[in-house]
Amino acid sequence: MNEEQFRGLLRERGILYPVNHPLRAGIGGIDRREFVKITGAAGAALVVGAGSLGCGPGEPPVSGSGPAPDPAERELALLALDEARSAGASYVDVRVSRHWNESISTREQQITNVSKSDSYGIGVRALVGGSWGFSATRDLSHDAVAAVAREAAAIASANDRVAPNTTTLAPVDPVPDGRWVTPHEIDPFEVSVEEKAELLFRANEAAMGVAGVQFVSSSIGSVKESRLVATSEGSIIQQTSIRINPSMNITAVSSDRSDFQSRGAVAEPAGRGWEYVLGLDFPGNAPRWAEEAVMKLSATPVEAGTWDLILHPSNLWLTIHESIAHPTELDRTLGYEANYAGTSFIFPPEQMLNDLRLGQGLMTFMGNRTEEGGCATIGWDDEGVPATSWPIIEDGIFVNYQTTREQVAWIAEETGVNHSLGCAYGMNWASIPFQRMPNVSLMPAEQDLSEDDVIAATDHGIMVEGRGSYSIDQQRYNFQFAGQVFWEIRDGKKYRMLRDVAYQGRTPEFWNSMSMIGGPSTYYLGATFGDAKGQPGQSNAVSHGCPTALFRDVNILNTA
Amino acid sequence: MNLLQSQESSSRRGQSVDEARDLCELVLGLARADQTRVTVNSGWRGFTRTATNRITTAGGSTNTTVRVMSVFGKRVASVTTNNLDRSGLEQAVAESEALARLSPEDPEYLPELGPQEYENVEGYYSRTGGLAPVTRAESMAVALEAARESDTVAAGFMDVRAGAEALATSNGLFGYHPSTGVASTLTVRTPDGQASGWAGDEAADWTSIESERIAADAVRKCLEWRGTTTLDAGEYDVVLEPTAVGMLMRNMRNTFNARTADEGRSYFSRGGGTRLGERVFDSKITIRSDPGARDAETSPFIGDGSPVRPEVWVENGVLKALSYSRSWADRQGVEPRPTPQNLIMAGGDATVEEMIASTARGVLITRFWYIRGLNPRTMSYTGLTRDGTFLIENGRISRPVNNFRFNQSMVSLLQNVEMLGRPTRVAASENSSVSAPIVVPALKIREFNLASVSDAI
Repeated sequence: MNEEQFRGLLRERGILYPVNHPLRAGIGGIDRREFVKITGAAGAALVVGAGSLGCGPGEPPVSGSGPAPDPAERELALLALDEARSAGASYVDVRVSRHWNESISTREQQITNVSKSDSYGIGVRALVGGSWGFSATRDLSHDAVAAVAREAAAIASANDRVAPNTTTLAPVDPVPDGRWVTPHEIDPFEVSVEEKAELLFRANEAAMGVAGVQFVSSSIGSVKESRLVATSEGSIIQQTSIRINPSMNITAVSSDRSDFQSRGAVAEPAGRGWEYVLGLDFPGNAPRWAEEAVMKLSATPVEAGTWDLILHPSNLWLTIHESIAHPTELDRTLGYEANYAGTSFIFPPEQMLNDLRLGQGLMTFMGNRTEEGGCATIGWDDEGVPATSWPIIEDGIFVNYQTTREQVAWIAEETGVNHSLGCAYGMNWASIPFQRMPNVSLMPAEQDLSEDDVIAATDHGIMVEGRGSYSIDQQRYNFQFAGQVFWEIRDGKKYRMLRDVAYQGRTPEFWNSMSMIGGPSTYYLGATFGDAKGQPGQSNAVSHGCPTALFRDVNILNTA
Repeated sequence: MNLLQSQESSSRRGQSVDEARDLCELVLGLARADQTRVTVNSGWRGFTRTATNRITTAGGSTNTTVRVMSVFGKRVASVTTNNLDRSGLEQAVAESEALARLSPEDPEYLPELGPQEYENVEGYYSRTGGLAPVTRAESMAVALEAARESDTVAAGFMDVRAGAEALATSNGLFGYHPSTGVASTLTVRTPDGQASGWAGDEAADWTSIESERIAADAVRKCLEWRGTTTLDAGEYDVVLEPTAVGMLMRNMRNTFNARTADEGRSYFSRGGGTRLGERVFDSKITIRSDPGARDAETSPFIGDGSPVRPEVWVENGVLKALSYSRSWADRQGVEPRPTPQNLIMAGGDATVEEMIASTARGVLITRFWYIRGLNPRTMSYTGLTRDGTFLIENGRISRPVNNFRFNQSMVSLLQNVEMLGRPTRVAASENSSVSAPIVVPALKIREFNLASVSDAI
């Protein structure tokens, strides 16, 4: 595959690479046509009634596509902006959001849970002096909205009196009528509970048909959220996100009941519709996963020591999440998360940016909020900054943190960075927006290497599939990750199944030992709905794309 | 005692018992299903956050959610909404009933409970519920001041919750439980990021939060941990401060589970049954739960309305009880017993200083981070030490040392207990939010497996 074909393939997947390096071009220079091409492609697939794309006389121009804001929500948002400003706020942003969740869980041939929830409310963030205040309520009466807007400003004022802060927001062009909808074919909320349960029961039955399997559980979680963001700078952005999380866990118990082994993490959440679940073919694949659970009972215990390690993307994505994506969050780096998840080894910024080598030349990570199917994919962030794509690590060198508008000022002087990369997100109306991880994806090799090619290059190795137990320290150095299925690779071939494997390492050495990666055909998006950060804790949904990758001389533990 | 006078608002957070009962009855009156359960959660959450010696965010939110669970035969579904208009409630009931009719049968479903007798628990402290944002800010300012004076950098969090939960069924059950909670935690680091210290409190009652002591302890830990030196990984005797113990023990709440034991999936499995009645831990270990425990209260009922009673799970090292869901209890022919809602470990009278004095060579651990399960049959976990790790030699702290990753079985740990301190409620959740109350002592443990070195500070 030549470079042009490779770029084309990435573009099909919605990855802008490697355009728009903010340190060189400035993100403000993002090509509007390029942006619309990505988000517009999304609009073309949407089923939810597309709003008017044209604009009448006197109406602001529409950016993107999707339903127009609900007029009542828009009025409440504008009311809150006015109230907070008249209470002394110099900057205000408001989110009116509605969140639908549906969960269907089964075990064997029974339902363990069917539930839906719907949460609707308004949250107001206000800046007074240099200090923030926030207030939120489910009560969408005019009086209640005005009260929370004033309270947000009052809390900000109180903080500014007791312990004043300084906050500067990086500039962004207002988006007076922004619209976006997750690209999807079938809204999961339009698919009946019966149809979902039937699919899960068929999958469970197929798994239970494998001798040795004793327990099967499976579930489908669906999320839809409508989010109106309005800022005192004139942005009004209406977006609808759809995400879906299919899962299955199969447990085999030994005949004497002395041991059990499970195969879980068989599929990934995605920012897609119901068509994604159909494409996973749980009933067709369940027997294979079930056989793996049974095989684990008699698999050979791993011999602890030094092995080469092949990580399938279904395992590698979480290692990326923990050891690359988290330590490149700028707020974490500068101590804003010190009391929870800790800080980062990529510190101080002025010594790290464009200098720290974390991998060989084959290693490029893109931060993006544009990748199709990505859980963190969106049109604009919670501060009205357009979604984009930028390198975090380029050819092995660390080049960018993840930022919000407030954070840019923290490093502008040292680095010349002057635009937000669009990573502000609050998980719902009751949550204050702050910096959350975009999709952070490892680019595949330009050469189209297959998984077999990577295995063939390994003499004494272990291949790991599926996420397992995972733990990493509070500066993201020492990690220990397990998996679901482990294969011993001997002389370039899969030899036998192993068990009780964990790999443990130190982040910089580990990534520098990555010596081979698969091509675009091995690229796969792993994801989680449970990226935790912040106090109070907030969940972020995020994806990490990656190819199969080979790491040399890794410390392997036996965790039995 | 907290020295700060809280500026209280007089109004109580969350619904009153009458408001909750009225709302439940309104929803039950709309219901057409064979059986219906209504759960109402109402309340407020306030928070203040600091970092880099400044208040970074602060705010609050109020919400009320109504969950409607509808049952036709053994077909069950639920819908939750925060739209309390009559039309919103009608829609939730209609949707829940439509979903239930569509749902396949749940053969494990048991009929809704009727009226129950609950323990009398008063877990609502108006001093917590009325805490004003400015009082939070002043409390946090104590830490910011202590950090500035010691040339260190503070990052902290105060989480305050107040509200009520209510539960009603179409079979006549009604339960109501108001509660409050507050957690205040503080991490103090040197400006160069080479040392870190932590302290925190969690309580139901605001006056139990000791802002001055938290600030002083976190600063002291940080300063004492400066100049960390290398210590190899290995098995060490360890002195675990109460927070470290609590972060490990909080995982135990879900392990006292009869079903996983009966099904061969737990350490408490034995043949086709359980280890009930067997000595499983050191005889100094007693673990109980009690919804009425002072300043560690929990609801006296769980989500299905089953009463939560004081229970003894492990007594003098012997496994005395396992939890049974209603359906598993029905199948096994025993009484239901909910999962422990709090966890209270008996202690001893040793101080941390005495534990150190009795140790020839060991490691003092302040707290842990990122604890994850490895193997449920050995109850083994991995995780990392954090915010103050010290070598003990010849009965004294000899030097600050690097952090470690541990790989440790809780079974071995609870079999290797040498000394126990006075139990105290700790801020045991990793994100420092108010969570299930954990009351534990400091422990001295033999042969704790510090498996690899962590460079993290």
